[in-house]
Amino acid sequence: MPVPILKQGEVLIASIQGALSDQDLVRVRDDVADQIGRFRSRGVIIDVTALDVLDSFATRTLRTIAYTARLRGAQAIVVGIQPDVALSMVQLGLSLDGVTTALDLEEGLAELDRLMKSGVSRVR
Amino acid sequence: MAIERDLDIVTARQTGRELAATCGFSRTDQTIIALAISEIARNIIAYATRGYMMLGRVYEPGRRGIIIIARDDGPGIADLELAMRDGYSTGHSLGVGLPGTRRVMDEFEIVSATGAGTTVTMKKWLR
Amino acid sequence: MRVRELEIGRAARHRLGWRTSGRTDMTMQITRSAPQILMQEMGLNDAAIEQRKKLVGFEPGDLARIATLRDLITQHAESHVAAFFSHLSGVEEARPLLASRAILDRARQLKRQHLLAMVGGDYGSRYVEERLEIGLLYAKAGLEARVFLGAFHALLKQVGVTVMKQSEGQPVEGFENFMSLKKIAFFDIALIVDILVFERERLIRQQQEAIRELSTPVLQIRERLLLLPIIGIIDTYRARMVTDSLLHAIRANRAKVVVMDVTGVVTIDSKVANHLLQTVTAAGLMGAVVIVTGLSSDVAQSLVALGIELSKLNTIGDLQGGVEEAERILGYRVTRSDAGAAPASGAV
Repeated sequence: MPVPILKQGEVLIASIQGALSDQDLVRVRDDVADQIGRFRSRGVIIDVTALDVLDSFATRTLRTIAYTARLRGAQAIVVGIQPDVALSMVQLGLSLDGVTTALDLEEGLAELDRLMKSGVSRVR
Repeated sequence: MAIERDLDIVTARQTGRELAATCGFSRTDQTIIALAISEIARNIIAYATRGYMMLGRVYEPGRRGIIIIARDDGPGIADLELAMRDGYSTGHSLGVGLPGTRRVMDEFEIVSATGAGTTVTMKKWLR
Repeated sequence: MRVRELEIGRAARHRLGWRTSGRTDMTMQITRSAPQILMQEMGLNDAAIEQRKKLVGFEPGDLARIATLRDLITQHAESHVAAFFSHLSGVEEARPLLASRAILDRARQLKRQHLLAMVGGDYGSRYVEERLEIGLLYAKAGLEARVFLGAFHALLKQVGVTVMKQSEGQPVEGFENFMSLKKIAFFDIALIVDILVFERERLIRQQQEAIRELSTPVLQIRERLLLLPIIGIIDTYRARMVTDSLLHAIRANRAKVVVMDVTGVVTIDSKVANHLLQTVTAAGLMGAVVIVTGLSSDVAQSLVALGIELSKLNTIGDLQGGVEEAERILGYRVTRSDAGAAPASGAV
């Protein structure tokens, strides 16, 4: 199922709803990359609040989205990782090194705000 | 259940989570079980194209748990020792799957031989 | 041009897919009854039920024999049910079951239904479900297995007397019929006892959960700042509880900084060290920064010896310093990585 990507000024918000297959994730990756270019967005928020599991493929895809965004001049932030999901990821050894994360959409937008104002594309 | 397409991974994961829930596992453990299933199912598809998984409840005197058996008739893992080492990756970049999964499950057993497929059996007990 | 053209409030967050916490099968649970759920939890599928029947030696021949008793038992159902409850009334421990009018009435009703079903001839999943309902009632009333067995025995004795009285002419036949019925009785007993045990275990688990939650407190000391004091010797299990509590607290309090004070930790092994590291990483995934305070040099050395990269941890000597650092992070909201560039105001 396609993931809706909202545009808010210079920020794109991709909200992932429910269980996604690998194909869906790849779609998201490509759509986001595409739209960053099209709208010259400076920030992307990927909201995974509704995901109850983040496995190795999802984790890798998120990292890819973040890197691609950076290459195109945008800052990506993943928000909404749930406690159970975070714990299971860490126990299995999955890492989101290099990707900025925030608690939720509100925090993510605030963080983007900060980053864009200070004009630094931050690498963790 | 058969594991052939990437959609099957999602099904396996959700079925696993529901089963874990009925068993009485906590939310966190449910997530871990779903994750383990996801990784193993993914391995099947990546290395063996197709296989199947069985999820069930297991009872032993004094404890209850969940059991997951994954079997494929793929090429098998030549060097099991190497594959189970942390950080190993064959370039399909699925490196984290096996060792990580073993870490989070209570019991983990893998039998594999070149040309003879792979069988993974794992269990998690209710604390 | 401002970044935020819309105010994203809580409502919008919900619409954007905030997960309904807990059960993905919430709708299923609304339509499934407690006995049905219990049946699944206990693994009482058709195969298991057949196995249980086999265990009591139940055969097709028994069905016919039980059928001959049907009218008789149905006629005397009341007196048999009475036997069960009058026995209970003489037992101190059965008080909780008898105390509440509502529970007692329900129990009587179910018992009567039970008796009729016992000679009904159909002992499939529907029958088992009904037994589970009674079992749950007993479990909730705190009825002990031994008390139940005593009362059930009284009931069976009464049934036996009734059957034998009626078969005065053919005692052997009467006896055989009664024995067939007894098989079902034992089938029922096994179910009830298993339920009582199951529910007892569940209760114990819940209590343990509660105790653990109490012993791993996460304190909110400022808005968005959590303090996690780790006291005493930690084992793997407690460590996992700690992490779980903390992560949920981060979400609940929308915390941005966690001060994890390990002053009270004396010894630490590799498993626990890894757990703590995992906690820090997991908290990071949820957008929270963890500051570790109170690391004694002994513990620090152990960590280094275990190969834990201390550089990955944000450590500060003492609690006070840690809290101050946390407040600084929250108060000034300075981007950590850049060299003190003052946040630009106005248009972007």
